[in-house]
Amino acid sequence: MKRTINVRVNGEDRSVEIDTRMITAEMLRERLRLTGVHIGCATGNCGACTIYLDGKTVKSCCVLAADVDGSEITTVEALSPGPEDLHPIQEAFVENQGLQCGFCTPGMILSTKALLESNPHPTEDEIRHGISGNLCRCTGYHFIVKSIQDAAQRLSGDAAPAGGPQGGPSGNGSG
Amino acid sequence: MISNEIEFHRPGSLAEALALMERDGEDITVLSGGMSLVPMMNLGIIRPEQVLSLNGVHELDHVTETDGDLVIGAMVRHARVATDPLIRRHAPVLAAAAQVIGDVQVRNRGTLGGSVAHADPAADYLPALAAAGGSVTMAGSDGERTLTPDEFFIDLMFTSREPNELVTSVTVPKLPAGWRSGYARLTRVEGSYAIVNAAAVIAGDHSAATVALGGVGSKPLVVDVTEQLRNGVDEAALAAVGEVVREAAQDVSGDLMSDASYRREMAAVFARRACAMAATTEAEVSA
Repeated sequence: MKRTINVRVNGEDRSVEIDTRMITAEMLRERLRLTGVHIGCATGNCGACTIYLDGKTVKSCCVLAADVDGSEITTVEALSPGPEDLHPIQEAFVENQGLQCGFCTPGMILSTKALLESNPHPTEDEIRHGISGNLCRCTGYHFIVKSIQDAAQRLSGDAAPAGGPQGGPSGNGSG
Repeated sequence: MISNEIEFHRPGSLAEALALMERDGEDITVLSGGMSLVPMMNLGIIRPEQVLSLNGVHELDHVTETDGDLVIGAMVRHARVATDPLIRRHAPVLAAAAQVIGDVQVRNRGTLGGSVAHADPAADYLPALAAAGGSVTMAGSDGERTLTPDEFFIDLMFTSREPNELVTSVTVPKLPAGWRSGYARLTRVEGSYAIVNAAAVIAGDHSAATVALGGVGSKPLVVDVTEQLRNGVDEAALAAVGEVVREAAQDVSGDLMSDASYRREMAAVFARRACAMAATTEAEVSA
């Protein structure tokens, strides 16, 4: 059944015609062409479809599009205006090779953002827990963890000696 | 896209939701966090004709303190159950269970009421709720009723909820001063459903001790271990807990993940661990 929902997506108010059978990930990809939202499993396991919904990360394959009427959504597209001007988290993933095929990357980036917002200087263990809802079948996670440690330093404004996970005592992680 | 047509309702109040349940409850599937329901819809395992989302019913998202109890609304999400100061202080075993559900994104969306109403026997809340002596409140057009876990949970994903009713809250008696609790679960991979899970609640003076287990039957198994822990929690006492749990876990069925004898053995192990955690941790769960 068709219906129209109103959502604020990446800072812009949008009125979107959807089908009640649609999941939010499909709405974002097919109606709004935000193809950074990836659909891996559609069962809430892989985290490739991670978005911010009203300020919290969720798996958009497990939220019906009809249920986000009136909500605010942020996708990975909001993080940078283009390839020349990447978000510090994205830069950290590029420079530390925190990706291979890249399918999981949008979800990893957003989960990293959420982690660093609540915990700007996570330990390696906290990083691994923080991204446990995002599966990567290429990297074995090692370089992803390294990327997140680097991102934490970039966002806290510390000079970034490579590899050290500890940042300074303060700084906010929001990008 | 989900294959069957769906009539979607998103009421803005409990009264409106209950009116819809009264009219069409037989055909309605209730959606709260959707962490189990939407994947099953995506896979075509469940094909509801009508879906009623409770995500617009904000009055069910509350944590309320009364003299002796904590009342937690059905739409409180796992992330809040894990971190809410009132829940951590007065129902730490529930907070400890919430803290290990799924992953960050799942905890941000999934709800206490949804998990309880779904009644997966491996769900983290079920033994926690049973050990804490909690209860489940439902509302229907003719009023409310409150059931103990033993009354509410009937069988695998089957509860006492009538088609016109909604789970509205969970009530947990405040853990008395000096009492402690522990929660332990067995999984292969972080974020998976537990194979076996156990929640223990022990009185500070050892005058009462309960351990409740999930994954060893179609509903939580509650075992009174007061006798075993009367003189404190040491190796011999924990071994006795394991024995009595192994004896009590008769109605265990196996599945592809683990057979019945393994689950029964792990029930004994995790009952001991939950009791040991209760004996050694502070009354409030650690961050």
